[in-house]
Amino acid sequence: MTAPVEDRDSAPWWAAVRAHRLTVQRCDGCATLRFPPRSVCARCRSRASAWVEVCGRGTVASWVVVHHAFLPVYAGAVPFAIALVRLAEQEDLVMYGDLPGTAPGELAPGLAVRAVFEDVEPGLTVVRWRPERSA
Amino acid sequence: MAADAFRDRTAIAGVGYAPFSRDSGVSTLTLAVDAITAALDDAGLTVDDVDGLATHRVGDSTPPWVVAPALGLDDLRWYLDQFGGGSVSHAIVGQAAAACALGFADVVVCYRAINARSEFRMGATGRGPSPTHDAQYQAPYGYFAPPQQFAMMARAHMTKYGTTTGHFGQVAVQQRANAALNPRAMRRDPITAEDHAASRWVVEPFRLLDCCLETDAACAVVVTTAEHARDLRRPPVDIAAAAWGGGHTFLNEGRRELTVTGAAALAPRLYAQAALGPSDIDVAELYDCFTYSVIVQLEDYGFCAKGEGGPFVASGATTLGGALPVNTHGGFLSEGYVHGLNHLAEAVQQLRGQAGARQVPGAEVALSTSQPGYVMGSTSALILRGAR
Repeated sequence: MTAPVEDRDSAPWWAAVRAHRLTVQRCDGCATLRFPPRSVCARCRSRASAWVEVCGRGTVASWVVVHHAFLPVYAGAVPFAIALVRLAEQEDLVMYGDLPGTAPGELAPGLAVRAVFEDVEPGLTVVRWRPERSA
Repeated sequence: MAADAFRDRTAIAGVGYAPFSRDSGVSTLTLAVDAITAALDDAGLTVDDVDGLATHRVGDSTPPWVVAPALGLDDLRWYLDQFGGGSVSHAIVGQAAAACALGFADVVVCYRAINARSEFRMGATGRGPSPTHDAQYQAPYGYFAPPQQFAMMARAHMTKYGTTTGHFGQVAVQQRANAALNPRAMRRDPITAEDHAASRWVVEPFRLLDCCLETDAACAVVVTTAEHARDLRRPPVDIAAAAWGGGHTFLNEGRRELTVTGAAALAPRLYAQAALGPSDIDVAELYDCFTYSVIVQLEDYGFCAKGEGGPFVASGATTLGGALPVNTHGGFLSEGYVHGLNHLAEAVQQLRGQAGARQVPGAEVALSTSQPGYVMGSTSALILRGAR
Protein backbone atom coordinates (compact mmCIF):
# COMPACT_ATOMS: atom_id res chain seq x y z
CA MET A 1 0.00 0.00 0.00
CA THR A 2 1.24 3.49 -0.86
CA ALA A 3 1.79 5.32 2.40
CA PRO A 4 0.42 8.85 2.56
CA VAL A 5 2.74 11.82 2.93
CA GLU A 6 1.35 13.59 5.96
CA ASP A 7 1.69 17.34 6.26
CA ARG A 8 1.22 19.91 8.99
CA ASP A 9 -2.49 20.24 8.25
CA SER A 10 -3.24 16.54 8.02
CA ALA A 11 -1.08 15.12 10.82
CA PRO A 12 -3.84 15.34 13.48
CA TRP A 13 -6.28 13.54 11.17
CA TRP A 14 -3.90 10.67 10.54
CA ALA A 15 -3.11 10.47 14.26
CA ALA A 16 -6.83 10.06 14.96
CA VAL A 17 -7.10 7.36 12.31
CA ARG A 18 -4.27 5.49 14.01
CA ALA A 19 -6.42 5.64 17.16
CA HIS A 20 -9.35 4.27 15.10
CA ARG A 21 -11.31 7.51 15.27
CA LEU A 22 -12.77 9.14 12.15
CA THR A 23 -12.64 12.92 12.51
CA VAL A 24 -13.24 16.10 10.56
CA GLN A 25 -12.72 19.75 11.45
CA ARG A 26 -15.57 21.92 12.70
CA CYS A 27 -15.19 25.65 12.14
CA ASP A 28 -15.39 27.67 15.33
CA GLY A 29 -16.79 30.58 13.36
CA CYS A 30 -19.69 29.04 11.44
CA ALA A 31 -19.79 25.38 12.58
CA THR A 32 -19.27 24.09 9.03
CA LEU A 33 -17.59 20.70 8.96
CA ARG A 34 -14.67 20.25 6.61
CA PHE A 35 -12.46 17.60 5.11
CA PRO A 36 -9.69 17.36 3.93
CA PRO A 37 -7.92 19.18 6.78
CA ARG A 38 -7.29 22.88 6.21
CA SER A 39 -6.15 25.73 8.43
CA VAL A 40 -8.93 27.99 7.16
CA CYS A 41 -12.68 27.73 6.68
CA ALA A 42 -13.64 28.11 3.01
CA ARG A 43 -17.02 29.49 4.04
CA CYS A 44 -16.29 32.15 6.71
CA ARG A 45 -12.47 32.22 6.52
CA SER A 46 -12.12 31.67 10.25
CA ARG A 47 -8.76 30.25 11.27
CA ALA A 48 -10.16 28.61 14.39
CA SER A 49 -11.47 25.06 14.36
CA ALA A 50 -11.81 21.90 16.43
CA TRP A 51 -11.49 18.23 15.56
CA VAL A 52 -14.78 16.36 16.00
CA GLU A 53 -15.53 12.67 15.61
CA VAL A 54 -18.09 11.67 12.99
CA CYS A 55 -20.33 8.62 13.12
CA GLY A 56 -18.49 6.75 10.39
CA ARG A 57 -21.57 6.18 8.26
CA GLY A 58 -22.02 7.37 4.72
CA THR A 59 -23.42 6.56 1.31
CA VAL A 60 -21.73 5.69 -1.96
CA ALA A 61 -21.88 8.71 -4.29
CA SER A 62 -19.95 7.00 -7.08
CA TRP A 63 -17.50 4.20 -7.59
CA VAL A 64 -15.12 2.60 -10.07
CA VAL A 65 -13.93 -0.93 -10.56
CA VAL A 66 -10.22 -1.10 -11.28
CA HIS A 67 -9.29 -3.86 -13.76
CA HIS A 68 -6.00 -2.54 -15.12
CA ALA A 69 -3.06 -2.95 -12.76
CA PHE A 70 -1.51 0.51 -12.92
CA LEU A 71 1.37 -0.77 -10.79
CA PRO A 72 2.68 -4.33 -10.50
CA VAL A 73 1.67 -4.37 -6.84
CA TYR A 74 -2.00 -4.34 -7.87
CA ALA A 75 -1.74 -7.27 -10.30
CA GLY A 76 -3.04 -9.73 -7.74
CA ALA A 77 -5.73 -7.39 -6.43
CA VAL A 78 -7.70 -6.48 -9.55
CA PRO A 79 -10.58 -6.20 -10.05
CA PHE A 80 -11.33 -4.10 -7.00
CA ALA A 81 -13.69 -1.23 -6.29
CA ILE A 82 -12.91 2.27 -5.03
CA ALA A 83 -15.80 4.39 -3.81
CA LEU A 84 -16.46 8.06 -3.24
CA VAL A 85 -18.39 8.20 0.04
CA ARG A 86 -20.52 11.08 1.29
CA LEU A 87 -20.46 11.22 5.07
CA ALA A 88 -23.78 11.27 6.89
CA GLU A 89 -23.07 14.53 8.73
CA GLN A 90 -22.84 16.90 5.76
CA GLU A 91 -23.33 16.52 2.00
CA ASP A 92 -20.01 18.01 0.96
CA LEU A 93 -17.92 15.83 3.25
CA VAL A 94 -16.53 13.23 0.89
CA MET A 95 -13.88 10.59 1.39
CA TYR A 96 -12.41 8.02 -0.97
CA GLY A 97 -11.77 4.47 0.02
CA ASP A 98 -11.79 0.83 -0.96
CA LEU A 99 -14.13 -1.90 0.23
CA PRO A 100 -12.17 -5.06 1.00
CA GLY A 101 -14.31 -8.18 1.02
CA THR A 102 -17.07 -6.51 -0.99
CA ALA A 103 -17.70 -7.79 -4.50
CA PRO A 104 -17.76 -4.94 -7.04
CA GLY A 105 -21.21 -6.10 -8.09
CA GLU A 106 -22.60 -5.22 -4.67
CA LEU A 107 -21.96 -1.52 -5.22
CA ALA A 108 -24.89 0.69 -6.08
CA PRO A 109 -25.71 4.40 -5.92
CA GLY A 110 -26.60 5.40 -2.38
CA LEU A 111 -25.35 2.17 -0.85
CA ALA A 112 -25.00 2.67 2.91
CA VAL A 113 -21.47 2.05 4.13
CA ARG A 114 -19.58 2.26 7.40
CA ALA A 115 -15.96 3.11 8.03
CA VAL A 116 -13.66 0.40 9.30
CA PHE A 117 -10.04 0.83 10.34
CA GLU A 118 -7.19 -1.35 9.23
CA ASP A 119 -3.75 -1.30 10.79
CA VAL A 120 -1.66 -1.96 7.70
CA GLU A 121 1.77 -1.77 9.27
CA PRO A 122 3.31 -0.11 12.31
CA GLY A 123 2.51 3.60 12.03
CA LEU A 124 0.06 3.23 9.15
CA THR A 125 -3.66 2.82 9.64
CA VAL A 126 -6.20 3.50 6.90
CA VAL A 127 -9.96 3.95 6.71
CA ARG A 128 -11.79 1.47 4.54
CA TRP A 129 -15.50 0.96 3.93
CA ARG A 130 -17.95 -1.88 4.40
CA PRO A 131 -21.60 -2.07 3.34
CA GLU A 132 -24.11 -1.78 6.16
CA ARG A 133 -25.95 -5.09 6.26
CA SER A 134 -29.66 -4.78 6.85
CA ALA A 135 -30.72 -7.31 9.50
CA MET B 1 -9.59 44.64 -20.68
CA ALA B 2 -13.08 44.82 -22.11
CA ALA B 3 -14.08 41.81 -24.15
CA ASP B 4 -14.24 43.71 -27.41
CA ALA B 5 -10.74 45.06 -26.84
CA PHE B 6 -9.35 41.52 -27.07
CA ARG B 7 -11.72 39.98 -29.60
CA ASP B 8 -10.03 39.25 -32.95
CA ARG B 9 -6.97 41.32 -32.01
CA THR B 10 -4.68 38.29 -32.32
CA ALA B 11 -4.43 35.29 -34.58
CA ILE B 12 -2.90 31.89 -35.04
CA ALA B 13 -0.59 32.15 -38.00
CA GLY B 14 0.94 28.70 -38.10
CA VAL B 15 0.69 25.17 -36.75
CA GLY B 16 3.23 22.38 -36.69
CA TYR B 17 3.81 18.89 -35.39
CA ALA B 18 6.55 16.47 -34.57
CA PRO B 19 5.59 12.97 -35.74
CA PHE B 20 3.18 10.96 -33.55
CA SER B 21 4.53 7.64 -32.34
CA ARG B 22 4.72 5.22 -29.42
CA ASP B 23 8.46 5.72 -29.15
CA SER B 24 9.97 8.85 -30.64
CA GLY B 25 13.51 7.78 -29.85
CA VAL B 26 14.38 11.42 -29.25
CA SER B 27 14.25 13.92 -26.38
CA THR B 28 11.32 16.21 -25.67
CA LEU B 29 13.69 19.05 -26.60
CA THR B 30 14.09 17.57 -30.06
CA LEU B 31 10.33 17.11 -30.35
CA ALA B 32 9.78 20.73 -29.30
CA VAL B 33 12.31 22.05 -31.81
CA ASP B 34 10.76 19.99 -34.62
CA ALA B 35 7.22 21.21 -33.89
CA ILE B 36 8.28 24.83 -33.41
CA THR B 37 10.25 24.82 -36.65
CA ALA B 38 7.34 23.25 -38.52
CA ALA B 39 4.85 25.79 -37.15
CA LEU B 40 7.10 28.72 -38.09
CA ASP B 41 7.58 27.31 -41.59
CA ASP B 42 3.80 26.94 -41.91
CA ALA B 43 3.44 30.62 -41.04
CA GLY B 44 6.22 31.71 -43.36
CA LEU B 45 8.37 32.83 -40.45
CA THR B 46 11.75 31.80 -39.09
CA VAL B 47 13.19 31.33 -35.63
CA ASP B 48 14.66 34.82 -35.90
CA ASP B 49 11.14 36.27 -35.92
CA VAL B 50 10.27 34.70 -32.55
CA ASP B 51 10.28 36.88 -29.46
CA GLY B 52 8.12 34.75 -27.17
CA LEU B 53 7.77 31.10 -26.14
CA ALA B 54 5.12 29.39 -24.03
CA THR B 55 4.60 25.84 -22.86
CA HIS B 56 2.92 23.83 -20.15
CA ARG B 57 4.20 20.71 -18.49
CA VAL B 58 4.06 18.51 -15.43
CA GLY B 59 7.76 17.82 -15.10
CA ASP B 60 7.68 15.80 -18.31
CA SER B 61 9.01 18.17 -20.94
CA THR B 62 11.63 20.74 -21.84
CA PRO B 63 11.00 24.30 -20.63
CA PRO B 64 11.30 27.52 -22.67
CA TRP B 65 14.49 28.45 -20.88
CA VAL B 66 16.14 25.39 -22.45
CA VAL B 67 14.38 25.51 -25.82
CA ALA B 68 15.20 29.19 -26.36
CA PRO B 69 19.00 28.89 -26.09
CA ALA B 70 18.88 25.61 -28.02
CA LEU B 71 17.39 27.60 -30.91
CA GLY B 72 19.78 30.51 -30.46
CA LEU B 73 17.11 32.81 -29.09
CA ASP B 74 19.22 34.86 -26.74
CA ASP B 75 16.76 37.55 -25.73
CA LEU B 76 13.12 36.51 -25.51
CA ARG B 77 10.84 39.43 -24.71
CA TRP B 78 8.22 37.18 -23.14
CA TYR B 79 7.93 33.58 -22.02
CA LEU B 80 5.62 31.35 -20.04
CA ASP B 81 6.52 28.06 -18.34
CA GLN B 82 3.11 27.04 -17.04
CA PHE B 83 2.79 24.19 -14.60
CA GLY B 84 -0.10 21.95 -15.52
CA GLY B 85 -1.56 19.36 -17.78
CA GLY B 86 -4.44 19.36 -20.18
CA SER B 87 -6.48 21.87 -18.25
CA VAL B 88 -4.07 24.68 -19.14
CA SER B 89 -3.31 23.69 -22.74
CA HIS B 90 -5.40 26.54 -24.11
CA ALA B 91 -4.57 28.94 -21.29
CA ILE B 92 -0.99 29.23 -22.52
CA VAL B 93 -2.27 30.25 -25.96
CA GLY B 94 -4.69 32.74 -24.44
CA GLN B 95 -1.91 34.26 -22.38
CA ALA B 96 0.37 34.41 -25.42
CA ALA B 97 -2.41 36.22 -27.29
CA ALA B 98 -2.81 38.66 -24.42
CA ALA B 99 0.93 39.30 -24.50
CA CYS B 100 0.76 40.02 -28.24
CA ALA B 101 -2.33 42.20 -27.89
CA LEU B 102 -0.57 44.30 -25.26
CA GLY B 103 2.70 44.52 -27.15
CA PHE B 104 4.83 42.44 -24.83
CA ALA B 105 5.68 40.24 -27.79
CA ASP B 106 4.94 40.01 -31.48
CA VAL B 107 5.49 36.35 -32.42
CA VAL B 108 4.95 33.78 -29.66
CA VAL B 109 5.27 30.07 -30.33
CA CYS B 110 3.25 27.89 -27.94
CA TYR B 111 4.39 24.28 -27.80
CA ARG B 112 3.76 21.04 -25.97
CA ALA B 113 6.32 18.25 -26.30
CA ILE B 114 5.93 14.92 -24.54
CA ASN B 115 7.08 11.35 -24.71
CA ALA B 116 3.79 10.32 -23.12
CA ARG B 117 4.18 6.67 -24.07
CA SER B 118 7.89 5.87 -24.04
CA GLU B 119 9.04 7.98 -21.08
CA PHE B 120 6.24 9.47 -18.97
CA ARG B 121 3.10 7.38 -19.36
CA MET B 122 0.31 9.86 -19.10
CA GLY B 123 -2.19 7.22 -18.01
CA ALA B 124 0.02 6.62 -14.96
CA THR B 125 0.81 2.96 -15.65
CA GLY B 126 4.07 2.21 -13.90
CA ARG B 127 4.45 5.73 -12.55
CA GLY B 128 2.65 5.44 -9.25
CA PRO B 129 1.10 8.16 -7.15
CA SER B 130 2.50 11.27 -5.56
CA PRO B 131 0.73 10.88 -2.23
CA THR B 132 0.94 14.52 -1.11
CA HIS B 133 -1.63 17.24 -0.60
CA ASP B 134 -5.16 15.97 -1.15
CA ALA B 135 -3.86 12.86 -2.93
CA GLN B 136 -2.62 11.54 0.43
CA TYR B 137 -6.23 10.56 1.20
CA GLN B 138 -6.59 8.63 -2.08
CA ALA B 139 -3.23 7.09 -2.96
CA PRO B 140 -3.31 4.41 -0.22
CA TYR B 141 -6.27 2.79 -1.99
CA GLY B 142 -4.53 2.73 -5.36
CA TYR B 143 -6.55 5.70 -6.60
CA PHE B 144 -4.26 8.00 -8.55
CA ALA B 145 -4.66 7.42 -12.30
CA PRO B 146 -6.59 9.71 -14.63
CA PRO B 147 -8.78 6.86 -15.97
CA GLN B 148 -9.92 6.22 -12.40
CA GLN B 149 -10.63 9.87 -11.72
CA PHE B 150 -12.71 10.40 -14.83
CA ALA B 151 -14.46 7.04 -14.50
CA MET B 152 -15.65 8.11 -11.05
CA MET B 153 -17.37 11.14 -12.55
CA ALA B 154 -18.66 9.20 -15.54
CA ARG B 155 -20.36 6.73 -13.19
CA ALA B 156 -22.06 9.60 -11.38
CA HIS B 157 -23.34 10.90 -14.73
CA MET B 158 -24.68 7.45 -15.62
CA THR B 159 -26.43 7.24 -12.27
CA LYS B 160 -27.98 10.69 -12.45
CA TYR B 161 -28.89 10.93 -16.14
CA GLY B 162 -29.03 7.39 -17.49
CA THR B 163 -25.98 7.86 -19.68
CA THR B 164 -24.74 4.47 -20.88
CA THR B 165 -21.50 2.82 -21.89
CA GLY B 166 -23.14 2.59 -25.31
CA HIS B 167 -23.12 6.39 -25.46
CA PHE B 168 -19.42 6.35 -24.58
CA GLY B 169 -18.90 3.85 -27.38
CA GLN B 170 -20.53 6.15 -29.92
CA VAL B 171 -17.97 8.84 -29.14
CA ALA B 172 -15.16 6.36 -29.81
CA VAL B 173 -16.75 5.07 -33.02
CA GLN B 174 -17.42 8.53 -34.45
CA GLN B 175 -13.96 9.85 -33.71
CA ARG B 176 -12.33 6.79 -35.25
CA ALA B 177 -14.35 7.40 -38.41
CA ASN B 178 -12.89 10.92 -38.51
CA ALA B 179 -9.38 9.63 -37.89
CA ALA B 180 -9.75 7.33 -40.89
CA LEU B 181 -9.74 10.54 -42.95
CA ASN B 182 -6.70 11.99 -41.18
CA PRO B 183 -3.29 10.91 -42.52
CA ARG B 184 -1.67 12.04 -39.25
CA ALA B 185 -3.83 9.83 -37.03
CA MET B 186 -2.27 6.89 -35.21
CA ARG B 187 -5.45 4.78 -35.29
CA ARG B 188 -7.22 4.78 -38.63
CA ASP B 189 -9.00 1.42 -38.81
CA PRO B 190 -12.75 1.95 -38.36
CA ILE B 191 -14.33 0.45 -35.25
CA THR B 192 -17.91 -0.49 -34.43
CA ALA B 193 -20.02 -0.26 -31.30
CA GLU B 194 -19.44 -4.00 -30.95
CA ASP B 195 -15.68 -3.49 -31.01
CA HIS B 196 -16.04 -0.93 -28.25
CA ALA B 197 -18.23 -3.22 -26.15
CA ALA B 198 -15.75 -6.08 -26.60
CA SER B 199 -12.67 -4.10 -25.59
CA ARG B 200 -11.29 -4.89 -22.15
CA TRP B 201 -12.23 -2.99 -19.04
CA VAL B 202 -9.59 -0.58 -17.83
CA VAL B 203 -11.53 1.02 -15.02
CA GLU B 204 -15.27 0.44 -15.06
CA PRO B 205 -17.19 2.12 -16.55
CA PHE B 206 -14.34 2.74 -19.03
CA ARG B 207 -13.14 0.16 -21.51
CA LEU B 208 -9.88 0.38 -23.44
CA LEU B 209 -11.59 2.19 -26.33
CA ASP B 210 -12.88 4.86 -23.94
CA CYS B 211 -9.32 5.86 -23.09
CA CYS B 212 -7.15 8.15 -25.18
CA LEU B 213 -3.87 7.06 -26.66
CA GLU B 214 -0.57 7.72 -24.95
CA THR B 215 1.62 9.34 -27.56
CA ASP B 216 5.14 10.60 -28.11
CA ALA B 217 4.63 13.82 -30.03
CA ALA B 218 4.81 17.58 -30.07
CA CYS B 219 2.58 20.29 -31.42
CA ALA B 220 3.16 24.03 -31.77
CA VAL B 221 1.10 27.03 -32.77
CA VAL B 222 2.32 30.50 -33.73
CA VAL B 223 0.44 33.40 -32.12
CA THR B 224 0.80 36.96 -33.37
CA THR B 225 -1.32 40.05 -33.85
CA ALA B 226 -4.20 39.83 -36.29
CA GLU B 227 -2.55 42.61 -38.26
CA HIS B 228 0.76 40.78 -38.57
CA ALA B 229 -1.00 37.52 -39.43
CA ARG B 230 -2.51 39.15 -42.51
CA ASP B 231 0.96 39.63 -43.99
CA LEU B 232 1.93 35.98 -43.55
CA ARG B 233 1.71 32.82 -45.61
CA ARG B 234 -1.58 31.27 -44.45
CA PRO B 235 -5.16 32.51 -44.24
CA PRO B 236 -5.32 34.08 -40.77
CA VAL B 237 -7.37 32.47 -38.04
CA ASP B 238 -8.34 35.06 -35.47
CA ILE B 239 -8.70 34.41 -31.75
CA ALA B 240 -12.26 35.57 -31.10
CA ALA B 241 -12.11 34.64 -27.43
CA ALA B 242 -9.79 33.06 -24.90
CA ALA B 243 -10.73 32.16 -21.35
CA TRP B 244 -9.16 30.21 -18.54
CA GLY B 245 -9.57 29.69 -14.85
CA GLY B 246 -12.73 28.46 -13.21
CA GLY B 247 -13.22 24.84 -12.64
CA HIS B 248 -12.98 22.69 -9.62
CA THR B 249 -11.09 19.56 -8.88
CA PHE B 250 -12.05 16.17 -7.68
CA LEU B 251 -9.29 16.34 -5.18
CA ASN B 252 -11.07 19.04 -3.27
CA GLU B 253 -13.73 19.29 -0.65
CA GLY B 254 -17.23 20.49 -1.30
CA ARG B 255 -18.13 18.51 -4.39
CA ARG B 256 -21.88 18.29 -4.01
CA GLU B 257 -22.31 17.89 -7.77
CA LEU B 258 -20.08 15.44 -9.60
CA THR B 259 -21.51 15.83 -13.10
CA VAL B 260 -20.75 19.50 -13.81
CA THR B 261 -17.27 20.56 -14.89
CA GLY B 262 -15.48 23.89 -14.69
CA ALA B 263 -16.40 24.39 -18.33
CA ALA B 264 -19.94 25.27 -17.24
CA ALA B 265 -18.55 28.32 -15.42
CA LEU B 266 -16.07 29.19 -18.16
CA ALA B 267 -18.37 28.88 -21.20
CA PRO B 268 -20.50 32.00 -20.54
CA ARG B 269 -17.37 34.15 -20.22
CA LEU B 270 -15.91 32.66 -23.37
CA TYR B 271 -19.04 33.14 -25.47
CA ALA B 272 -19.54 36.69 -24.17
CA GLN B 273 -16.00 37.63 -25.14
CA ALA B 274 -16.58 36.37 -28.69
CA ALA B 275 -20.12 37.82 -28.81
CA LEU B 276 -21.15 34.38 -30.05
CA GLY B 277 -23.13 31.45 -28.68
CA PRO B 278 -23.13 27.68 -29.03
CA SER B 279 -25.29 27.84 -32.17
CA ASP B 280 -22.55 29.86 -33.91
CA ILE B 281 -19.95 27.10 -33.52
CA ASP B 282 -19.38 25.19 -36.77
CA VAL B 283 -16.88 22.68 -35.45
CA ALA B 284 -15.82 21.73 -31.91
CA GLU B 285 -12.57 20.11 -30.88
CA LEU B 286 -13.31 18.96 -27.32
CA TYR B 287 -10.68 17.60 -24.94
CA ASP B 288 -11.17 13.86 -25.04
CA CYS B 289 -8.90 12.21 -22.52
CA PHE B 290 -11.85 9.82 -22.20
CA THR B 291 -15.07 9.43 -24.14
CA TYR B 292 -17.09 10.75 -21.22
CA SER B 293 -15.17 14.05 -21.30
CA VAL B 294 -16.75 14.81 -24.67
CA ILE B 295 -20.25 14.09 -23.44
CA VAL B 296 -19.99 16.30 -20.37
CA GLN B 297 -18.48 19.17 -22.36
CA LEU B 298 -21.26 19.04 -24.97
CA GLU B 299 -23.55 19.82 -22.05
CA ASP B 300 -21.37 22.31 -20.22
CA TYR B 301 -20.59 24.31 -23.38
CA GLY B 302 -24.32 24.51 -24.06
CA PHE B 303 -24.72 22.36 -27.16
CA CYS B 304 -27.44 20.28 -25.50
CA ALA B 305 -29.33 20.23 -22.21
CA LYS B 306 -27.62 18.99 -19.06
CA GLY B 307 -27.76 15.22 -18.99
CA GLU B 308 -28.48 14.95 -22.72
CA GLY B 309 -24.88 14.61 -23.92
CA GLY B 310 -25.14 10.86 -24.47
CA PRO B 311 -28.32 10.96 -26.58
CA PHE B 312 -26.93 14.03 -28.42
CA VAL B 313 -23.92 11.99 -29.54
CA ALA B 314 -26.06 8.97 -30.35
CA SER B 315 -28.25 11.14 -32.60
CA GLY B 316 -25.32 11.58 -34.95
CA ALA B 317 -25.18 15.36 -34.40
CA THR B 318 -21.47 15.15 -33.61
CA THR B 319 -20.42 13.25 -36.74
CA LEU B 320 -18.71 14.93 -39.68
CA GLY B 321 -22.03 15.29 -41.48
CA GLY B 322 -23.92 16.33 -38.34
CA ALA B 323 -24.95 19.71 -36.99
CA LEU B 324 -21.84 19.99 -34.79
CA PRO B 325 -18.88 17.94 -36.00
CA VAL B 326 -16.71 17.10 -32.99
CA ASN B 327 -13.06 16.07 -32.91
CA THR B 328 -12.71 16.01 -36.66
CA HIS B 329 -9.10 14.81 -36.42
CA GLY B 330 -10.05 11.79 -34.33
CA GLY B 331 -9.08 13.45 -31.07
CA PHE B 332 -6.79 11.98 -28.45
CA LEU B 333 -8.75 8.76 -28.82
CA SER B 334 -7.55 8.15 -32.37
CA GLU B 335 -5.27 10.88 -33.74
CA GLY B 336 -2.94 10.95 -30.78
CA TYR B 337 -2.41 12.68 -27.48
CA VAL B 338 -0.57 15.98 -27.38
CA HIS B 339 -2.39 17.20 -24.28
CA GLY B 340 -4.56 19.81 -26.01
CA LEU B 341 -2.64 21.72 -28.65
CA ASN B 342 -3.39 19.18 -31.37
CA HIS B 343 -7.08 20.05 -30.92
CA LEU B 344 -6.28 23.69 -31.52
CA ALA B 345 -4.10 22.90 -34.52
CA GLU B 346 -6.95 20.88 -36.06
CA ALA B 347 -9.38 23.76 -35.48
CA VAL B 348 -7.00 26.09 -37.31
CA GLN B 349 -6.77 23.75 -40.29
CA GLN B 350 -10.57 23.43 -40.41
CA LEU B 351 -10.97 27.21 -40.48
CA ARG B 352 -8.36 27.53 -43.23
CA GLY B 353 -10.24 24.95 -45.28
CA GLN B 354 -7.18 22.71 -45.27
CA ALA B 355 -8.54 19.66 -43.47
CA GLY B 356 -8.72 17.50 -46.58
CA ALA B 357 -11.21 14.64 -46.59
CA ARG B 358 -12.42 15.54 -43.10
CA GLN B 359 -13.07 19.21 -43.91
CA VAL B 360 -16.30 20.60 -42.48
CA PRO B 361 -17.77 22.53 -45.42
CA GLY B 362 -17.90 26.27 -44.81
CA ALA B 363 -16.51 26.10 -41.27
CA GLU B 364 -16.01 29.67 -40.03
CA VAL B 365 -16.07 29.44 -36.23
CA ALA B 366 -14.47 26.76 -34.06
CA LEU B 367 -14.40 25.97 -30.36
CA SER B 368 -11.31 24.23 -29.00
CA THR B 369 -11.15 23.20 -25.37
CA SER B 370 -8.83 21.91 -22.70
CA GLN B 371 -9.48 19.36 -20.01
CA PRO B 372 -12.76 20.57 -18.56
CA GLY B 373 -11.78 21.26 -15.01
CA TYR B 374 -12.02 18.02 -13.10
CA VAL B 375 -8.29 17.94 -12.44
CA MET B 376 -6.22 20.70 -10.85
CA GLY B 377 -9.15 23.04 -10.59
CA SER B 378 -8.71 24.77 -13.90
CA THR B 379 -9.86 24.74 -17.48
CA SER B 380 -9.33 26.83 -20.62
CA ALA B 381 -10.71 27.21 -24.13
CA LEU B 382 -10.55 29.32 -27.28
CA ILE B 383 -13.02 30.35 -29.94
CA LEU B 384 -11.38 30.84 -33.33
CA ARG B 385 -12.75 32.64 -36.35
CA GLY B 386 -11.56 31.98 -39.86
CA ALA B 387 -10.84 35.04 -41.95
CA ARG B 388 -10.36 33.42 -45.33
